[in-house]
Amino acid sequence: MKIFRHLTVALVSYGGIVGASVFLAVLAVEFGISLFGDVVFSGWMLVTVQIARWFVLWVGVYTIHNVLPIAIAHGRTRREFLGAATGFTVVFALAMTLLAWLGFLVEDGLYSLMDWRSTPHGSPLAYFLMFLVWCAVGMLVTAAFDRWGYGGVFTLPVGLALAVVPGITMPGTGDTPFVRNMPHLLGDGWHAVSLGAWVVAMAVTWAIARDLPVRLRTS
Amino acid sequence: MRVDVQGLTVRYGDVTAIDDMSFSLSGNKIYGLLGRNGSGKTSLMSVLAGYRRAIGSVQLDGEPVFENAAAMRKVCLVRHPADAADKSDKVSHVLEYGAAWRDTWDNAYALELSELFKIGLKSKVGELSLGQRSAVGAVIGLASRSPLTMLDESHLGMDTPTRYAFYDALLNDFMAHPRTIIVSTHLIEELSSLLEEVVIIDSGRLVLQEEADVLRSRGTEVVGNAADVDEFTEGLTVLSEKSLGRTKSAMVFGQLDDSGLVRARQLGLELGPIALQDLFVHLTEPVGGKR
Repeated sequence: MKIFRHLTVALVSYGGIVGASVFLAVLAVEFGISLFGDVVFSGWMLVTVQIARWFVLWVGVYTIHNVLPIAIAHGRTRREFLGAATGFTVVFALAMTLLAWLGFLVEDGLYSLMDWRSTPHGSPLAYFLMFLVWCAVGMLVTAAFDRWGYGGVFTLPVGLALAVVPGITMPGTGDTPFVRNMPHLLGDGWHAVSLGAWVVAMAVTWAIARDLPVRLRTS
Repeated sequence: MRVDVQGLTVRYGDVTAIDDMSFSLSGNKIYGLLGRNGSGKTSLMSVLAGYRRAIGSVQLDGEPVFENAAAMRKVCLVRHPADAADKSDKVSHVLEYGAAWRDTWDNAYALELSELFKIGLKSKVGELSLGQRSAVGAVIGLASRSPLTMLDESHLGMDTPTRYAFYDALLNDFMAHPRTIIVSTHLIEELSSLLEEVVIIDSGRLVLQEEADVLRSRGTEVVGNAADVDEFTEGLTVLSEKSLGRTKSAMVFGQLDDSGLVRARQLGLELGPIALQDLFVHLTEPVGGKR
């Protein structure tokens, strides 16, 4: 519980500060664009889909690469840490989804006020699942690189395949050419596939990190 | 805390860092883990701390350590630079990690040590000098008050006054809170007065484990006329010899019995203790093709 609390407090508040700062920057850019022409798309949608997921992936990387060795050095087991980290992915994805959604509320109101044209954005559930999977994929790939060094590169295709899943039906990510029909056939059932991708990503992370050695860091 | 190591082997690819090592530490002492560079000290301590899985058995108070929460809670290993700190963390955050995650952590003592070592709590670990980073490691190790505390080259980069302050703090804290402390160092003479028992390893194998006082008494420096020294040391294990004109000095390994002492007096030889560091050098250096 101590690890979970630490991860949540430290990284959710950090994510909140970064998200709020980026949101203000997006608003500033939108106002800037409006001085020279029409605003015809949602800047916040672009950020939440194209940039935010990479930030969330980085948080997954940071969690395993930086915090896990520190936890072990302070007498915690990998199993304890991975349990906490699994719960953390859920809370962090929820927090980022809330942040994204609050941003849309403000931005939609502003666009309506300014009579700007917005673009459709994904549902909160779709955002939650995207952040959930990307955070887990960051952990998976990092665990592999930390354990096997350059050999971790072989997990990149797995990570990529899992990361693609929740974005397929998300507006703003672009359709993938190979499974274009499948999401439409499954409808909201595709979310279950995304949840499955998170389960797989976390399961593989556990399998890799349970024997992860804490290497000597040089500086 | 008792430490039992049985048939321990650590390999990194083709390199064997620890080779079928077995020993036991009865606990509640300050142990010196001595070995040359690459002898396997850090690998050994890493396994004792559950930092990596290894072949063989490592038990702390009868319990396996790797991924055993109860055993892991009782261990603290500080390698250099400190593992328990991220370079981007402020020192105050590092202490907060300890306070949050270690049941035995003494935060007041951590703050006291930080002041002693003049470490700014607002400084980031990555911005500290090598000696100050080592001091942060020393703070983490000592303030953890872990039943098994291991300090791996924790003095690196510290200036002499800071090192002495560290040794004093180590001894005082051990006296106040007896526990098993393993210190690995290359500055053997500086620390030798603190060490109660010495474990020497070389090339991943145990060379010797002995009480420090007993070890010191097992080495004798014999000085005198070269012919007399040669006569006296015949049949004894001579670690090294130095000659200057007709005077010769020989380091002899092994205790001298009463007849030996009498004979030395008859020959007019001077007998003296040899430093732990000298014994270590000779024990880990091939002598005549044999160790």
